[in-house]
Amino acid sequence: MSQVAITERAAPYTAVDLHINVRPLHQCRIAWLNPGWLCVGAALALNALGIITIATTEPGYATRQIAHLCLAMIAAAVVAAPHYHWLRRFSMPLLIVVVALLVFVLIPFVPEFIVRPRNGARRWISLYFMDFQPSELAKIAYIIALAAYLRYRKNYRRFLGLLLPLALTFIPMGLVLIEPDLGSAMLFLPTLFAMLIAAGAKLKHLVLIVLLGLAAAPAMYPLLQPHQKARIHALYYQLKGDQRHVQDIGYQGDKAMTLVGAGQVSGVGRRKAADLVTYNHLPEEHNDMVFAVIACRWGAAGALLTWGLYILLFLGGMLTAGQCRDPFGRLVAVGIVAILFAQMTINTGMTVGLMPITGMTLPFVSYGGSSLISVWIMVGLLLSVALRRPQYLVRESFEFDHEEEGAM
Amino acid sequence: MEQPRPGTSMYHRRLRLIALLMGGVLLLLALQLGRLTMVEGAQRLQRAEQTLHRRTLLPTWRGSILDRQGRKIAVDRPGYAVAVEFDVITGAWEMRQAGRQARRELGATAWSALSPAARLAAARDRLPQWRAKSERLYAELRRLGGIDEAELNRRLDAIRSEVQETAAAVWAAQRAAESAKYGEESDFEFRPGRIREQTEAHVVLPSVSDAVAFEFSALADDLPGMLKVQNARRRVYPWSEAEVRLDRSNLPRPLRSNRPMRIRVRGVADHICGSMRPVVREDVERRPYRVPATGRIDLGGYRPVGDIAGERGLEKVFEDHLRGTRGEVSRRLDLDRVIRIEPTPGRDLQITLDLALQARIQAIMSHEFGLTIVQEFHHNSGLPLGWKLNGAAVVMEVETGEILAMVSMPTRADGEEMDARRQAIEQPWVNRPVEAIYPPGSIIKPLVLVAAVTEGVHDLTETIECIGHYFPHVKNVARCWIYRERWGYTTHGPLVAEDALGQSCNIFFYTLADRLGMNRLAAWYGRFGMGSPLHVGLEYEYLGRDADGNERTIRTGEAGGHIPDAAEMSESALAGRLDFDTIILGIGQGPIAWTPLHAANAYATIARGGTIRDAKLVSDDSIAPRPRRCNDLHLHGAAVDAALEGLRRAVSEGGTGHHITYSPGDREAIFNAEGVNVWGKTGTAQAPKLILEDTNANGRLDAGDDGIDGLDHAWFVGLVGPADTRRPMFALSVIVEYGGSGGRVAGPVANQIIHALQREGYLPAQAFFDPGAEGDR
Repeated sequence: MSQVAITERAAPYTAVDLHINVRPLHQCRIAWLNPGWLCVGAALALNALGIITIATTEPGYATRQIAHLCLAMIAAAVVAAPHYHWLRRFSMPLLIVVVALLVFVLIPFVPEFIVRPRNGARRWISLYFMDFQPSELAKIAYIIALAAYLRYRKNYRRFLGLLLPLALTFIPMGLVLIEPDLGSAMLFLPTLFAMLIAAGAKLKHLVLIVLLGLAAAPAMYPLLQPHQKARIHALYYQLKGDQRHVQDIGYQGDKAMTLVGAGQVSGVGRRKAADLVTYNHLPEEHNDMVFAVIACRWGAAGALLTWGLYILLFLGGMLTAGQCRDPFGRLVAVGIVAILFAQMTINTGMTVGLMPITGMTLPFVSYGGSSLISVWIMVGLLLSVALRRPQYLVRESFEFDHEEEGAM
Repeated sequence: MEQPRPGTSMYHRRLRLIALLMGGVLLLLALQLGRLTMVEGAQRLQRAEQTLHRRTLLPTWRGSILDRQGRKIAVDRPGYAVAVEFDVITGAWEMRQAGRQARRELGATAWSALSPAARLAAARDRLPQWRAKSERLYAELRRLGGIDEAELNRRLDAIRSEVQETAAAVWAAQRAAESAKYGEESDFEFRPGRIREQTEAHVVLPSVSDAVAFEFSALADDLPGMLKVQNARRRVYPWSEAEVRLDRSNLPRPLRSNRPMRIRVRGVADHICGSMRPVVREDVERRPYRVPATGRIDLGGYRPVGDIAGERGLEKVFEDHLRGTRGEVSRRLDLDRVIRIEPTPGRDLQITLDLALQARIQAIMSHEFGLTIVQEFHHNSGLPLGWKLNGAAVVMEVETGEILAMVSMPTRADGEEMDARRQAIEQPWVNRPVEAIYPPGSIIKPLVLVAAVTEGVHDLTETIECIGHYFPHVKNVARCWIYRERWGYTTHGPLVAEDALGQSCNIFFYTLADRLGMNRLAAWYGRFGMGSPLHVGLEYEYLGRDADGNERTIRTGEAGGHIPDAAEMSESALAGRLDFDTIILGIGQGPIAWTPLHAANAYATIARGGTIRDAKLVSDDSIAPRPRRCNDLHLHGAAVDAALEGLRRAVSEGGTGHHITYSPGDREAIFNAEGVNVWGKTGTAQAPKLILEDTNANGRLDAGDDGIDGLDHAWFVGLVGPADTRRPMFALSVIVEYGGSGGRVAGPVANQIIHALQREGYLPAQAFFDPGAEGDR
């Protein structure tokens, strides 16, 4: 319709006219049939699985989790409703606010009714009705800011051009690490790399950075907190099949592996799983260790089902990214998939004994309001990207084939 | 710009790369999941299920050891003990409670915000009220336990230091095991965990009355988590101490008195009964509570901490018979299923000993009573008057072989009061009647007689002339005991067997030994039991170190003695000493040795006319670890009669065991019990040198040290029976180490044992005389 309007106009266009008339071309079509729903469906299924799992040992928590889910879905809807470009406009201010909040929780003399330390970690800002964890917001703000930064650039195809994205990553990541929250900090780098790969950075640069990072890792090790070192130690001995720390620093990891194994192929069923979890004193069984409960109750089948649902979720996210022609939307979708994948991998990895124990929730499945809201906001963003199709004028982005890159 | 085919652009390829990387990571996770669930699943399920089992052990109780009259030698007594939690003893409990209280009062959120130093300060503020609780507990322990503050502190200190030492040892072992298993790694130091003793309650008041236990139970409700009233079964030996009143009117004159003597004896039958000790590795390895290979629980097995096991004697040998099996309440938490296995109490063990007789004989052999310290009438050649002598005595029933008494002096209880040097000399841990071997000396002679007659090498009508020495032309070896300068080289002249035995003529028995030859003689000694243990049920094995320091199983508890073997005989023949070596065997010297029990056993065999019914200690033959010998030697009947007649003459006028001579012309009969017949033989056997000092300073007393030479062990072995039947009823054997003359030293002890048998009703007494009623004359 609007195309017709342009051609029918006889008079010469003024710049203002052109601007006004071109606006509909930028406006999006809402594509109701889109892969974003796959994400929503998978997320819902994971939530249902989580609630049933939590009910294994903590029925009361399961009920509360349903309430959290409602709240989280509303948040997702609120995020999905407007065009995601609005977020792009606020990406820098949002990042600045988030960094400020991350700094704020670390300021030593902030009254404790505002920043309440738990077990020596300063991560939470008290909002009276709930505790708010700035690092959760930081993940989203970081993805948006990085996507906004990378969308029309090419300089990251040079090695030095990668420095600024890296710096942009290290600021929130470092602040989160100081809190200390090793788990959340570990999410930023995989996300950065996934977004850089999608944006077409040269793979040899990325490989070089990974190698440099690995070479520098021993130098960074002394900076870790003692308990973090202990957990890395515990993982080292656990992977070696060494039993000596199963009673102290390796306790949690060992218990989780025992219960995962106890589920065998098809699981031990609800009642026995509840008994095994209770009497083995698995810590955080409804939270960080929920995957162990799944594996114990439904066995390898349950664990594979969980991973299957994640695969659906990521598939939805990747299809969204693939169909999206807007560079910002593409990067946001890839970033969200990457961060959720990293979180899922770290959590289930520590449960099956391949990763050090960190306080990391399993997205959608673990109990907890703020983390649930945070991951559903991500789903909302994915849906927002999936819903919107730019109609005509789209500049091809992230295509550098002509620059003789040849292979991927 | 030309539009590439959808999905083949660089961006889409990159997306596929990301998906591929993600897939790789997921594959890795899935592989690990498969390993955990499929490869290790069953094993991990078993481990997880272990936490669902709750076991409560039900105590069992150990069987009693009873004497022939049913007196309890060893018995398990129920009782209570008051134990205090280790954390209370160290004071850690007060601090923890104060910390918890602070946390409760401040609220979890405020508490979690506090720095460690602030938490400590908050806890310190609340410490006094918790300290008051432990003060109250200690006050009650002192009041109800009847101990003063110093004693309480001593006990608490003992527990603290013991646990600390145990923990240090356990940690050292763990650290060693870890570095052996994983190699030395410096990056992560060994982290000792709390050992079990550090989380347990420790007994402060070992045995309290029911009333006190009840008060402490009430206190335990008041002071939760601080103390425990435990059921404590104790092994007690009710008869181990006894007071015996001994008549002194029939003692040799220098010791005689009309006033009876009260003697307190300690450790009655403690060598035989044995004792208990906490389990050692050996017990756990023999029968572990948790079988290491399978992880299965054996309720009858030993746990490394807290269990006890027999250490020696019957408690050790009959450990499995006495011990019993504990019960168990096993609960599967997930199934609401309770399985109760009742405990099986241990079985009782009855032995043939008569404890009252045992105590009485022990009193007779006590130094206090006077017979076992060197007296003037002993004429001991090497030891000063008043020197304390050790010894052993055995009383057996002839008919059955049952051992009525088996005394070893000093007892183990006596040994506990000795210092290490005296222990090395006296060896109180040796159960002399069955474990110590001695050369038999003259007491062997009746055996030689019956052997020679039964073998047909001697005719009972034949006389053998004693010319003072055996070899016609050599006067300084193989002499008769009577052929001495101080007696003017007198001889016995021609003797028949009965008189030869009565006068203990050496020449007669040299002759018989020569006729038998070493081979036959040794075989006969073997038939009488010499050379192998009699297997009365005191023999056991333990893991120890031999002389070279190698660990091996050592069999101990009963000695076999020694008879010459083929190698020794051929060596003797090669050296041209066969004649001499053979004839001295005939008077109980040379390479032969046996125990006092062997001696009594051999005499009982002769008294039965050759029927072997070896000594028996455990009443029920079927539970003895090894069968005793029951056989027949087919002795020549007349030879047995002659031997008994010889033994009768030995203790009659003119015999070697008849009298004690105080001064020329002043003498007194050794045996003065009325209404009994006594047959017996004295023996004065050359003893090894008595070593009192480690003169070669090699850390132990051995043959290389200087000692007192030329001493003799004093033997008396005999038979006794009621006068009217003329049949021997009991065999008895007495040895006094380094005592000198068998007649003068061991004889009076044997006489007192006969009085003791009368007193305990085993032998009739003509006129029963109660010295207590008579008073001082």
